[in-house]
Amino acid sequence: MKKILMAALLLVTMIFTGCGGSDNAGSDGKLNVMLGSNVVSLDSAQATDSVSFEVIADCIDGLMQLDAEGKAIPALAENYAVSTDGKTYTFHLRDAKWANGDPVTANDFVFAWRRHCQKAEEYSYVMGNTVACVKNADAVIKGADPTTLGVAALDDKTFVVELDAPVPFFLSLMAFPTFYPVNEKFYNSVEAGSYGTSPETFLSNGAFMLTSYIPGTANIQLKKNDSYWNAAQVAVDAFQYQVVSSSDNALTSFKNGTLNVVNIGGNQVAHVKQDAELAKNLKTFSSGYLYYLSFNQDPKNHHAGALANVNLRLAISNAVDRESLVDNFVMNGAKATYTAVPVDFAPNAETGKFFAEDQKRFSDVVSFNVDKARQYLEAAKGELGTDSFALNLIYSNDGGSATKIVQAVKSQVEENLPGVTINLQPMPKAEYLSNVTSNSYDIALVDWTPDYNDPMTFLTLWTTEGCEIAEHWSNAAYDQIIAACTTGEFADDYSARWNALYDAEEILLRNAVIAPLYTDANAVLISPNVTGIEFHAAGIDRVFKNVKLQ
Amino acid sequence: MTNYTPQGDDFEFIADRDISVDENFAAQGYWKGVAIHFFRNKFAVTGLILVGVIMTFAVLAPIVSTYGYQEIVSIVDAGGKEITAKSLSPQIGGGGADNLFADRTFLFGTDDMGRDLWTRTWQGARVSLIIAFVAIFIDMLIGTSYGLISGYFGGMVDNAMQRFIEIAGSIPTLVIISILAIFMEKGIGLVIASLLITEWIGMSKIARAECLKLKEREYVLASRTLGAGSFHIIFKQILPNTIGPIITQVMFSIPVAIFTEAFLSFVGVGIVLPQCSIGSLIEAGFNNVTILPYQILPPICVLAILMLGFNLIGDGFREALAPKLEDM
Amino acid sequence: MTRYVAKRILMSALTLLAIIFVLFVLIRIVPGDPFPVERMSAEMILQKREELGLNKPILEQFVNYMSMLLSGSFGNGTSLYNGAPIKPIMTACLINSFKIGVLSILCGTAVGLAIGIVAALNRGKFLDGLCTVVSILGVCIPSYVFMIFLQYFFAYKIPFFPYFFDPSNFLTSAVMPAMSLSLFAVSTIARFTRNEMIEVLNSDYVKLAEAKGLYGFELIRRHVLRNALIPIVTVIAPLVVDLLTGAMVIEKIYGINGVGKLMVDAIAGQGVDYNYVLALGIVFSALYIGVMLALDILYGIIDPRIRLAAKEGGA
Repeated sequence: MKKILMAALLLVTMIFTGCGGSDNAGSDGKLNVMLGSNVVSLDSAQATDSVSFEVIADCIDGLMQLDAEGKAIPALAENYAVSTDGKTYTFHLRDAKWANGDPVTANDFVFAWRRHCQKAEEYSYVMGNTVACVKNADAVIKGADPTTLGVAALDDKTFVVELDAPVPFFLSLMAFPTFYPVNEKFYNSVEAGSYGTSPETFLSNGAFMLTSYIPGTANIQLKKNDSYWNAAQVAVDAFQYQVVSSSDNALTSFKNGTLNVVNIGGNQVAHVKQDAELAKNLKTFSSGYLYYLSFNQDPKNHHAGALANVNLRLAISNAVDRESLVDNFVMNGAKATYTAVPVDFAPNAETGKFFAEDQKRFSDVVSFNVDKARQYLEAAKGELGTDSFALNLIYSNDGGSATKIVQAVKSQVEENLPGVTINLQPMPKAEYLSNVTSNSYDIALVDWTPDYNDPMTFLTLWTTEGCEIAEHWSNAAYDQIIAACTTGEFADDYSARWNALYDAEEILLRNAVIAPLYTDANAVLISPNVTGIEFHAAGIDRVFKNVKLQ
Repeated sequence: MTNYTPQGDDFEFIADRDISVDENFAAQGYWKGVAIHFFRNKFAVTGLILVGVIMTFAVLAPIVSTYGYQEIVSIVDAGGKEITAKSLSPQIGGGGADNLFADRTFLFGTDDMGRDLWTRTWQGARVSLIIAFVAIFIDMLIGTSYGLISGYFGGMVDNAMQRFIEIAGSIPTLVIISILAIFMEKGIGLVIASLLITEWIGMSKIARAECLKLKEREYVLASRTLGAGSFHIIFKQILPNTIGPIITQVMFSIPVAIFTEAFLSFVGVGIVLPQCSIGSLIEAGFNNVTILPYQILPPICVLAILMLGFNLIGDGFREALAPKLEDM
Repeated sequence: MTRYVAKRILMSALTLLAIIFVLFVLIRIVPGDPFPVERMSAEMILQKREELGLNKPILEQFVNYMSMLLSGSFGNGTSLYNGAPIKPIMTACLINSFKIGVLSILCGTAVGLAIGIVAALNRGKFLDGLCTVVSILGVCIPSYVFMIFLQYFFAYKIPFFPYFFDPSNFLTSAVMPAMSLSLFAVSTIARFTRNEMIEVLNSDYVKLAEAKGLYGFELIRRHVLRNALIPIVTVIAPLVVDLLTGAMVIEKIYGINGVGKLMVDAIAGQGVDYNYVLALGIVFSALYIGVMLALDILYGIIDPRIRLAAKEGGA
């Protein structure tokens, strides 16, 4: 009865007060931001997802940071010197302090880098020869003595890195959490395995520090770190992350002022656009995430006999209407993509043009053309001697637009290619990852997040060695180009390297190893009084340390 | 003290007052009596009508609908661009609606993929009902046999079987489902398996209690004296007399099953889209609940009506089987 | 009585042991390794298995696990949260779920009893019908659907309660989840109370008491409620555990860091962590058995017949 009374009371209040909700957010110097999923780990050696990277980057500074345009500018490094062959970097650290008063020294970097290689967790690969090319990193990851790693602390303030090959984007890599320092003394003082699991076991040297956090929590509280070297520039006093799993909750919590910064999905974008007042707060950024279909060619696999056939793969790739996909189903400003590198990503350092500027470059093999798709299908049917193909499509159902995309793809492929049926198999992220990495799938919907702003973050995926998503495809010419571009002859010739990467992409798409679908976008609602959030397509998605509140 | 002698006007004629006439054990069959009690209960009849209506729609609507439940309704505009009928609020064809699909009828509107929600809702109701009936039917077979055997043999057998139930019943459902979800592929199979593992225990407890009562009856004794085997007695003599309570339990288990299905699909281990069930439709609607509220209402209403209907039927059955409650 | 209690405790302990064993074996025979293997070589996997003691006979592993449990630890996670110790993380989640669970069971029992009593006393009248409808609503609408509506109306339309769970403001943010969770308890208890009350009201001893001239509130309190309450306790107990474990969706929607959500993270998060599944399974089962045990003992105290039966059986 009490409840009924209370409900009645509330109902009356509602009728009299009408629709409430005031936009008072940020007025008390507090910023409330939505996170799309839980933080997995605050240990920079173990974090694997963009959410964790973002929170780590709020609290810890690296040698460099990215400015609003994505250019690397010094952070903890006051200045740096590069040797003429581009293989030795010397960083001079500024006077910065950890939150417990210890100075940040070159040894903190040496400790962290060695530890990351030694722990050999998922992201240790960025130290190795496909990315940063730190000397001996691959050997240490495989178990060699960590002191052989090509890093050294000449003195407390001088940190030297030796590389196996010149890396054109090495400085921007230094803004990535895997390269962040860890305070050795502090790390050894906390219980084994508990580093980064509470405010007490996590040490910050960046703009913010944790005040409330336990693993898995939906609510993370941060506050300004007064001992941050650049504390004068930090305008936000308190900062709160709220994990919101539904796009609808995100929109409502923005409307009633609970959150100042939220990401919304396609349906919500359509709704916001109808409301002129609300639409002013809407901003859309390319997220650099490439959604593509990965075809497993492993003959051991159940249906792979079919997918090892290039015509069948081409048929599927040409039967998908990517424009309809982004207009009707994703709807958040995503862009249809016909290349293996996403659009609006990886600008050429010399011309400033994005790598995938020309989306028609491979239109003879990647396009939407039902007639051509059916010709490919007929060829495949003839070569394989069968009329029907039942293929499983696996995807991770942890939210996002994946569920809608696969349904649309299924519908389009089945309609345009008679004889092909697609069975959808949703699974949790962990199971999905173990399936794609162990070759047990037919087709997988993959969303690949770029780690650094270079086409290589995508193109290394399909080398014979590249193990993340295993298509079981191997092409000597492709491997050769990639090797030449990382550690080989093109490593120090920027434009030759750039052109060689197009050749590699062509091999990939002519063989239809993947069917690119679209480049995702972030549709973000930001309160009008919050300015200065920096969005990046690679590395750290959002940077909050320069935010101003009015 | 003098003895009191009853006088004539101490008594009154009671023929004009209602007297309870024994209808249950009058010259009519047991089931006929149950039926009479059941249909006299207006709540139970309401329940029956509600469930009947939903079932009729669930069977017929997907068949007669002009759209397939997986069909994405779309047109291609002059520029060759595909436009889907996504997120349209309910409309009746005839040009009244302000969109490109004004001539189409979508009684419940369309979902955010451009599929007709009328068709999907009834298809979902159908899938949910099928899951519930299949799972509960198997549960009934397992649970009843288990309970009857355990109750009839008693002693060591009963003890061992009851210990097993105690252990199985002490593991919370959520834990069992979690472990199942690691082993099995998502989909209808997982939902049915979860229901099988968790729902039979209640059935078996009821069957056992009934069996304990019945096995002491004279007719069982007579049967045994005439040389009937244990399984003949259990399944031919005792089972038919336990059917009443078991059906009541079934009536209460079906809504639980529908509920569980909705829950599992909502958390993402149930039905795989683009197939649909009540739970998966609620889940899809939840993602747009404040901006497109009409998408979540039909499945919730169907769910609520089914729940209400089955619960009313269950109540009606229970009261019809134990008429003392009803008649006093 | 002591003997009865001792026997029940022993039985419960044995049941729990059996459950731990079953869960342990199930988790160990799950295909795959309990740690991420994406980038590990074959020898690294072997080494890791050795480290975790996974290549020992399963019985020996079980004994080791039990001795760890008895020393008050649940071990470390494997893939979730850096492999940190499980106990502090699980405790934090349990406390949140427990608080909300208790709140909703209190609220649910009070409202449920009230509705049930009112219905029984007005049997067949309009109020009875109204109470039936209210109590049946609770089993018709899933608690998470109710939560969605509560959140929309009372946190968004009128911002009366926080839109998301706010740990620093527990009381106001616990109201909505507790209300929606209690819905099921309200209807179960209300229906049960009504039926029990009617049965007791029709019993001979109540008729006798009425005949003796006792009526109204006094009659209800002294004779009806007391006897009707005993069976009601049996419904409440399992509801307590259901509430603790069943709040999964509500915890997700409202952002509560509770055990339901922890379980989801452990089975469906970015890394499947079998050690968490095992630890949570054990805790849930222990809770359930504990509640059932407490109930049995309580029952023995309230109702002497059970005590007697146990004595006879035990002698």
